[in-house]
Amino acid sequence: MLASLILIPLAVALAIVVLPAASARATALLGTLAAAAMTVVALVQFDWTQGAVMQFLASVPWLPSLGISLSFGADSVSMLLIALAALLGPICVLASWTAITERVKTYYAWLLILQAAMVGVFVARDLIFFYICFEFTLVPMYVLISLYGSTNRKRAATTFFLYTFTGSVIALAGLAYVAWFNSTLPFDQMTGVGGSWTFDISTLQTAASNHMNLAQQSMVLLALLCGFAVKVPLFPVHTWLPLAHTEAPTAGSVILAGVLLKLGTYGIFRFGIGYTPDAFVAFAPYIAVLCIIGILYGGLICWVQTDVKKLVAYSSVAHLGFCVLGLAALNHAGIQGSILYMINHGLSTGALFLLIGFMYERYHTRSMKEVGGLAAKMPVWATFMVFFVMASVGLPGLNGFVSEFLCMLGTFQASDSWSLGLWGSEKAATIGATRGNLGPWYAAVASTGVIIAAMYLLIMVGKVVFGPLKEPGGHDSHGSHGGSHGGSHGGSHGGSHGSNGHGAAAHGHSHLPADLTAREITALMPLAIACLVFGLYPTPLFQALKAPVNEAIAHVYPPPQLETPGTENQPGRNDPTGLIGSVGTAQEVSR
Amino acid sequence: MMTTLAQAGFPAAMHQITLAHYLFISGAMFMLGLIGFLTRRNLIIMFLCTELMFQAAGLALVAFSRFHMNMTGQSFVIFIVTVAAAEAAMALALVVLLFRKRESLDAAEWQEMKG
Amino acid sequence: MPSAFLGVLVLNPASSLDSMLDSMLVLAATPATVAKAPIIAGDPLALLVPALPILGLILCTLCAIFRVKSKLPAFLTVACLAGAFVVTAKLFTGHDGGVSIASGFQWMTLSWGEEPGQRFIADFSLYLDSLTILWMLFVTGLATLIALYASEYMSHDVGLGYCRFFAAFNLFVFSMACLVMGDNLLLLFLGWEGVGLCSYLLIGYFYKKPSAVAAAKKAFIMNRIGDVGLILGVMLTFVHFGSIEYREIFAAAQPYIDLAKAGKFSEIPAIVQLIPILLAVGAFGKSAQLPLYVWLPDAMEGPTPVSALIHAATMVTAGVYLVARTYPLFLLSEYALPIVAWTGALTALVAATIGMAQFDIKRIMAYSTVSQLGYMFAGLGVLTSTGAAFHVVTHAFFKALLFLSCGAIMHGFAGQLDLRKLSGVGFMKGWGVVGLGMFVGCMNLAGFPFTAGYFSKDMILAEAFVTPGMAPIGWILLLTAGLTAYYTFRVFFRVVVGPMHYEPGDELHHAEEDSHGHDHHGASEADAAHAADAAHGHAHTHDDHAHHEHGHGAHFHPHAPGWAINTVLATLSVASIAAAGLYFVKSPYEGGMAHGGAVPGMVERSSAAFETPFSHHGVGESHETIKEGGHEGADGHAPAHAEGGAPSFVPTSIAKSQGEAAHAGSFLGWDPHKVMYYVSGVVGFVGIFIAFILHYAGRRTAATARADALLPAFGPLAGWAQNKWYVDELYDLVVRTPLWIVANIFHLFDKIVIDGLVRLVGGIPRFIGGMVRPTQSGELHGYAAGMAAGVAVLLFLVFMLTMR
Repeated sequence: MLASLILIPLAVALAIVVLPAASARATALLGTLAAAAMTVVALVQFDWTQGAVMQFLASVPWLPSLGISLSFGADSVSMLLIALAALLGPICVLASWTAITERVKTYYAWLLILQAAMVGVFVARDLIFFYICFEFTLVPMYVLISLYGSTNRKRAATTFFLYTFTGSVIALAGLAYVAWFNSTLPFDQMTGVGGSWTFDISTLQTAASNHMNLAQQSMVLLALLCGFAVKVPLFPVHTWLPLAHTEAPTAGSVILAGVLLKLGTYGIFRFGIGYTPDAFVAFAPYIAVLCIIGILYGGLICWVQTDVKKLVAYSSVAHLGFCVLGLAALNHAGIQGSILYMINHGLSTGALFLLIGFMYERYHTRSMKEVGGLAAKMPVWATFMVFFVMASVGLPGLNGFVSEFLCMLGTFQASDSWSLGLWGSEKAATIGATRGNLGPWYAAVASTGVIIAAMYLLIMVGKVVFGPLKEPGGHDSHGSHGGSHGGSHGGSHGGSHGSNGHGAAAHGHSHLPADLTAREITALMPLAIACLVFGLYPTPLFQALKAPVNEAIAHVYPPPQLETPGTENQPGRNDPTGLIGSVGTAQEVSR
Repeated sequence: MMTTLAQAGFPAAMHQITLAHYLFISGAMFMLGLIGFLTRRNLIIMFLCTELMFQAAGLALVAFSRFHMNMTGQSFVIFIVTVAAAEAAMALALVVLLFRKRESLDAAEWQEMKG
Repeated sequence: MPSAFLGVLVLNPASSLDSMLDSMLVLAATPATVAKAPIIAGDPLALLVPALPILGLILCTLCAIFRVKSKLPAFLTVACLAGAFVVTAKLFTGHDGGVSIASGFQWMTLSWGEEPGQRFIADFSLYLDSLTILWMLFVTGLATLIALYASEYMSHDVGLGYCRFFAAFNLFVFSMACLVMGDNLLLLFLGWEGVGLCSYLLIGYFYKKPSAVAAAKKAFIMNRIGDVGLILGVMLTFVHFGSIEYREIFAAAQPYIDLAKAGKFSEIPAIVQLIPILLAVGAFGKSAQLPLYVWLPDAMEGPTPVSALIHAATMVTAGVYLVARTYPLFLLSEYALPIVAWTGALTALVAATIGMAQFDIKRIMAYSTVSQLGYMFAGLGVLTSTGAAFHVVTHAFFKALLFLSCGAIMHGFAGQLDLRKLSGVGFMKGWGVVGLGMFVGCMNLAGFPFTAGYFSKDMILAEAFVTPGMAPIGWILLLTAGLTAYYTFRVFFRVVVGPMHYEPGDELHHAEEDSHGHDHHGASEADAAHAADAAHGHAHTHDDHAHHEHGHGAHFHPHAPGWAINTVLATLSVASIAAAGLYFVKSPYEGGMAHGGAVPGMVERSSAAFETPFSHHGVGESHETIKEGGHEGADGHAPAHAEGGAPSFVPTSIAKSQGEAAHAGSFLGWDPHKVMYYVSGVVGFVGIFIAFILHYAGRRTAATARADALLPAFGPLAGWAQNKWYVDELYDLVVRTPLWIVANIFHLFDKIVIDGLVRLVGGIPRFIGGMVRPTQSGELHGYAAGMAAGVAVLLFLVFMLTMR
């Protein structure tokens, strides 16, 4: 089942290479749709009541002597992220429909391979398999940026590749250390830990979280953060992102923002919390501080950007700050919010990149100094733009708010000081509080990021969407055939008195009508609907994520009743396939 | 190599020529080849010098092989000679090609690999 | 980090043994142990109130998709909103004064355990009590009327813009319904931000105008600042009470309310006292109170119906609603209500002074809105939530009326709003209704005796003097009342009456659409010649901006409002007058207090009363003790108050500062409730009279009045007031500019330092490569020598090591 989600895109990529170039994009569309359909089948077959249990398990031995295998499995967290990747697949193909005109076969083939690699990351149950997929996403992305990007693409692609690659190599060292550590442990019949080399993710989790001391866990966590924090990206290691986003083609940006960044947060969730829970608790305040710096710093930098795409890219730094902040809260609201944030950010920011791409196709500029007031010319585009900006700003009723609020709520709750007399709470119950090392001050500072987000996004909207119509005049060189196009379409939206002459030329190159085409609207609609539905009725998501999130928290803060020996057979606790499970008596020994 | 040849059971007539002699000759040949290679700039001469070093190594091998009464070394040398022949053919062909390009056999003409 | 919150430390000094014992009692009665309030299922019909505007939104969107080029969206909107109003009215008639919950669907509901506090519940359910119904009655009612008005007002934009306008209009009413009817703080927040969004979209309706876009942006961002306070308050509420549903909060807050009643504020933990302060920050943002008010005057860039509905009648009162709704929480804090009161009073005064110095009549109305909102907050702060709510209702009607009248003028005079360029409008042909509307609105706003505004303002004023320690607020409010009367009638005497004179506006809103003039006049009953003239005028506007100002004087004819605008103005005029009647009507519920009329009667049955309905069934009785003898009905101001004394339940800070709590506040030795009717009436008269002297008597032209001669007497003050006390500039200097500089520094820091570090790391291999690069000379002999040297070194080492 899960293997097919990887194999379908790979097969289609092969087909694209074999078939003539003229049919490449149609094939790609069919292929991504087929993968999406298969994902729907998987989503239907998935037992959502058992969200924490790894399902669709399958394993093919690969290097048995080292305990490496191609094993698959997904819990509800993985399933939702797979669904996100599958949804963005066809959308990316639609977004590239007219934008990519050269080396079409290469483009779509790599896009499909990228799709396969991303799904691979989410379904892998073997560390080596995970890591291979994790790293392999770099190759297609490198090609997409360096061949199809804009002017500065070579440098962006190289920076992107080297930067993230360097980080992940260190993460690999951390993961390899865990595997080596496991192999040095004496074999444990019950958990399967120790004795020999294995790269099974669950086994290693038991080994790492139960048997490593804090110093070892901290080392591993730092190594992991080197890889995953770069990918997210957290504050000091974010500079590759704006560059890569700005230079990447539209579909590349969508995938990058939509899914690739989530590989980092997913890795932190799976390995940071899963493998090194104690260290993660200890490091949570520092991680949170980095996140908050990212939120404010990224937000303020957005303010001074003139390149729309760069602005949205920096906004990702701020947004992902919230996402990781939720993880660092280490409570239910925070982690739920964080996982939802992964999905919601993919939807809204992905859509923003699409919209900017559509604008770029028409005007060949992304500078706020050159375009403006497009609402007069492109009302449909403007409507979508405002809609997704609002989703991104975190307007309640749209998806962004749900996750942002939960992340902040989680941060607010997560403080041990609530029970220790913060703000006179020694006299009052703080029944809504949880354990943790953050607290209201973190939430209060982070929440100012919400104001900044409104500021920079609305300034962007105010310049690009609203205001007097302004179109770049210098694009006559792209083609002399602009007159009829611009004229007819400009006229149809009567009354736009700014469109005399110079507006017409802008449409010349792309042969696109002034406003969005049916194809472009088709690409945006699923995202818009998802934004609305997840904003108004996120309950199914909450329920789907409840079990894995609860397990993760129980893994970090074992519930007290587990500390009495002999009760480790709690229902659902010793599920050997579960990522976060098997927290038995051994854990108490090690602590 | 503290054992003498007599101890190893060699006939008396061979007493005057020991392993050391062979190794001395081999070493001398190698040094000649090396010095030649380092000092001469003519590609063909340099090539011949490498052949000289090559055969020096071969000679040492044969000597040791005989000394240890182990035929592996000698069989290796047969291989080496064969390979060296083939190599010589290739190398000379290359030199000819290079000569055609630059009309010169000076090794300093070729610095494409400069970093 | 914890307990570093200075303000709270001050609030919560070291407690004595006594209070420690008491605190243990509090612990025993933690919110968790309080039995859940029973849920009474509300009328599911209530769900139609938010659902109908959503239907309207969908219909308007469909109209936009199918490019409907008629007034269809307006009439669909009016129909939907009227439906919502009818449903609300039905809820009102069927309401028994209790609290019920109409369950919708789960919105943000997640749980991570079975204990209380391990469930976060924010459902899409509606909380139906008298406060909700009161608010929704005027929201839906006014929205329907204003939609009808807008159908004509916006007619120049028929097409996509028209659909956009009414779609946002519907969304606004939906959001307002969520805000008012939501049964939890998060649904309130949804509505809260939703109305903010609609406000943004509608202020920026004329999106080609940079000033409109900037105003929209400013409104949204300023609101967001408040919203952050609100959302932090919501989170703190959850952390403390383990729930954000009103009924749970109110039930859980009961132990504290008892403490607060006993005046033992020091035993209420800071964490509880902080909640209302955070909520108040949100309320100040939304209701344009002192630090955060600057967006509202700018919001006048939006179409006038929007200003009337959103920025005068409904949205801006959301802050008042929030405080009223969470009044039980505000009563728990020693400082929350005084903060609210002082903020309100100072806002009222400052906004009034600015309003006096403005010339744009719409802006004057905007400042008067800010000022009146300040009144409402002051009312809440001086413990008359009933008076505040009454003022909200009356203000909604008369301010909407004023705005719509201004809008009619603006519409008819090509965007002219300068009171120096308009005069005698009320006596022009076809403008009678507008003049009348202005008159009724101004009378109300000025607090002319026996108008609705008079009664509601009076309730607040009187209570300010009654509440111990709040007398300064009373004086400020009284002064403001005088200023209000003056600037209100300044507008009236300058614009509505006097010699007939006008200049058309220099900025024509119908420049948006060429066909405007024809469309409009085709619809109205204007004669053909008039239409032709107007069309002629329009032709001019498209020529040359510099030129047309002069060209217009001769050709421009104002076009009087059509039937829709007139109908709405007439209806609102009647409603504004009739609102005074509410004061004399008895509470719609049995057992309610007899005085104060219908609106206070409704407020009293809700959480805005001092007792929550959950804890105490004898609402009427308990209230009697609190506000003994407040207003004894309309028939006369019975002396009951004199013996009543102060409210038994006031924050100790207030009580202490007054000296002895038992002694009722007085107004110069008289009983405020009796005297205030006369005092405020006199103050209003004086204000009107001054306006009459300065702006009407002997005025010959539109541009100048006697007041101009007095300006030098005020020195720079007048100029400062005209420039809004430079608050905008102050914000720019103190907040925006530093942030902008910081942002730029960050940008450079990112480019140079952070990216520089990365490049440095990336540069290290490159540097080393550069260092060793010369060794790769490409020269065969070099390599050979190197190799030979290497071998030699190796051999040497081997010898050295083995020869030992």
